[in-house]
Amino acid sequence: MSRILTTVATACALAVPAVAHSRPVTMNVQLKDYDGDGAYLAVYLTDAQGAYVRTLWVAGGKAKYYKHLSDWNRLSARDTERLAGVTGASVGAGRTLKVTADLADALIDAGYELRVDAAVEDMRDSPSDVRVPLTRQEAGKPHSGKRYVQSLTFEIE
Amino acid sequence: MGWKALHRWLGLIAGCLAVVLGLTGALLATDPVLQATQAPSSGAASSVAELAERVQRAMPGVEEIRRLPSGAIVAFGFEDDQPQAFYVDPRDGRMLTVYQPSPLPRWAKKLHRSLLLGDAGRWGSAGTALAMAVISVSGLVLLVRRMGGWRQLAGPVRGTGPQRLHVLVGRVALPVLCLSSVTALYMSATTLELVTLEAGPEPDVTSVADGQPDLPASQLPLLRDTRVEDLLKLNLPHATDPEDVWTVSTRQGQGWIDRYSGETLAWQDAPPAQRLYDWAVVLHTGESAWPWAVILGLAGASVPLFWITGLLIWWQARRAAVRIANNSPPAQADTLIFVASEGGSTWGFARTLHDALAQNGHRVHTAGLEHFRTAAATRRVLILAATHGEGQAPTHARHALERIAHETRKVPIAVLGFGDRQFPAFCGFARKLEQALREAGWPQLLPLECIHQQSSQQFALWGEALGKALGEPLALNHVPHLPPTTTLTLIARRDYPGFADRPATILRFRWPRTSWRDRLRGRGIPRFAAGDLVGIVPPGTSVPRFYSLASGSEDGFLEICVRRMPGGLCSTYLHGLKPGDTIEAFIRPNPGFTLHGTKRPVILIGAGTGVAPLAGFIRRNDARTPMHLYFGGRDPARDFYFDTDIRRWLEERRLTSLHTAFSRVPDGGGYVQDALRRDAPQLRELLAHGAIVRVCGSRPMAQGVAAALDEILAPLHLSVQQLKAKGRYAEDLF
Repeated sequence: MSRILTTVATACALAVPAVAHSRPVTMNVQLKDYDGDGAYLAVYLTDAQGAYVRTLWVAGGKAKYYKHLSDWNRLSARDTERLAGVTGASVGAGRTLKVTADLADALIDAGYELRVDAAVEDMRDSPSDVRVPLTRQEAGKPHSGKRYVQSLTFEIE
Repeated sequence: MGWKALHRWLGLIAGCLAVVLGLTGALLATDPVLQATQAPSSGAASSVAELAERVQRAMPGVEEIRRLPSGAIVAFGFEDDQPQAFYVDPRDGRMLTVYQPSPLPRWAKKLHRSLLLGDAGRWGSAGTALAMAVISVSGLVLLVRRMGGWRQLAGPVRGTGPQRLHVLVGRVALPVLCLSSVTALYMSATTLELVTLEAGPEPDVTSVADGQPDLPASQLPLLRDTRVEDLLKLNLPHATDPEDVWTVSTRQGQGWIDRYSGETLAWQDAPPAQRLYDWAVVLHTGESAWPWAVILGLAGASVPLFWITGLLIWWQARRAAVRIANNSPPAQADTLIFVASEGGSTWGFARTLHDALAQNGHRVHTAGLEHFRTAAATRRVLILAATHGEGQAPTHARHALERIAHETRKVPIAVLGFGDRQFPAFCGFARKLEQALREAGWPQLLPLECIHQQSSQQFALWGEALGKALGEPLALNHVPHLPPTTTLTLIARRDYPGFADRPATILRFRWPRTSWRDRLRGRGIPRFAAGDLVGIVPPGTSVPRFYSLASGSEDGFLEICVRRMPGGLCSTYLHGLKPGDTIEAFIRPNPGFTLHGTKRPVILIGAGTGVAPLAGFIRRNDARTPMHLYFGGRDPARDFYFDTDIRRWLEERRLTSLHTAFSRVPDGGGYVQDALRRDAPQLRELLAHGAIVRVCGSRPMAQGVAAALDEILAPLHLSVQQLKAKGRYAEDLF
């Protein structure tokens, strides 16, 4: 039985100054079939120095639990727009979150990293559950996560 | 809406949800207990620094160390990319057993918090918690009112089975349930984001690499200053992230530490809302305090009991209540009928009166006397008043006289009393009312009339008089409302000659066991105890006579002791019964008089057939509570009822001592009060040690007994009146 629920999220806003050339990047975050409630996930981008760039998606609706997505919460604390148009429901165990974002060409193959923080109620937090360089070479390959993320796969069009 | 209505309707409506929350809460309360038993006993570690270093030595891949509410320490880490979680020994950091989070099913918590309905369900649970808080508070108000004040709160509880259970358990569980619901409300408010727990945005801090290696945990000042007891969680810096920091969460707040310099980069105090939340969690869940979790669990499990007994109380009251059809609003009615009645039988008369007046085209409003008030449209007021005890007002109408005194709009008024001529205070309360109204200058519609033994004829005559006063024909055909009766078969009788033409007999009837279904539908004879009353309706009459029961349903039969009165319709009928004959009967509870498993010594005082309920108490004294019987008769050969049984019970130690007085034989000892006076020192001793007293017999005998006991109690600075107020002294008189 396919246990894939697809959440399509399209984040069109750009945090970096408007760049003429951008392309859609699609990420599939598949969760492990752990024994627990739905996971809170934060999908975001950091630069070569590990500094926060932009939030791509936050799954889970209650702000009081965001502190459990601790890396993202700390890094993005100063971004007042971090939740603008990029939130949705938490993702159940074994299911897949699909996120599509328009990313500037300048971000690809330039040392930027895709990161996913994960947290599940009454279970351990997993900041930076998976970290993948945003390069054409890594695109299309599944990257396994530490705790809740089975795999992160992204495609650059 | 009064407290009672609030309590009743919230209880009935929100009660079913509260049952779900109570039961799941009881299930969840087992978690802290299980955690406490599963957690390995934790030894001491002086500081978090020491603890972290020990754990790091034993478990190199450790990422996080938590102190559970149970006090156990758990370390989380990775080994070969596999997540690990172990209980560790804080003394040496040794890994003990694998840590398993709560073994309880997840649905239990979800059901408890959100009724499995997501966010809408969270509002539902919060609403139920609010209802529960209001039910608790209104319950406390009603409890204080019922017990007669804060000082009597711990006193004996009277009432029917469900009432007693509701009050007895409520007295204990109420504070816990109230605390549970208030803490639940606060926790809900944080989940529903009405209260924010955040201390503010987290500081953006990183470790600054300066070529130095990591400092060991033992050299980090913040960790050295943090006691293990205050620790919630310690996150160690990740090996692969050179900028990662130490993060320590404690009860007091959260701190971030540079991995190279050991400097505390930032500290955030836990906001007051968070500290309050921590307390609410401990109080609501019992985590970190398993004995409290046990108490919470028991309180949660008691919720279904409240709901079921509450339903039964409401159902019984509904069944007993007389409903008035087409009751006009008080402001529009031309005729107001007010009723004061302890037992409720007077309401039946009120309904007959109401219907007859409404038939004549009047707009009639009928209400309890506690609602006494006239309006501009009011043309006349009729008060139907029964008397409670020795001429007092029925409990619900105890403030009625003050209310009447405040009423300025005075209209013609008539008082109709109900009572029994045998009682010295016949219609005592009705007379008081009449007098107060005359003195206050209310116009008299009709002179005071008193109805004896619920006589329908007398009531019809009063109706004629009222009709004349109103200038219209008024026919009051009152058919007394009787509870459904059950057929009982006589299985044995034992006759005593008595005196003159007044023989007595002990009649034993079979108790037909009633199925649960019939009992729920209110059919058949319910459970009863010695001291309750059986109402018997002689053929061809509609007025029941009541006899005290000398047995309980546990005995499997109904037993009464009946003396034949000259001209007595019912006693003559009963004396004519042969084994195999049947009667129609129903049970009326007498909760103030029956004994409920008391451990205190009991003094039983009875004269003549009044010994019957006392014999019933002794018969079921399986616990061998000290019981002392004072029996008064005339001649041991003619009216010593239950004599052989009583002697056997003495041998079986169901009865501790027997004292008799026979007034018609030489050296018989006089009256029962004389026997009491002879035994004064022992009685005083018993009463000083909390003995309870039950008196059954005629009214003059009871007065003599009370006078004798007052003499005996005087040196203890006590009186019969005080014992009555404490529920230690009760009478069943005829």
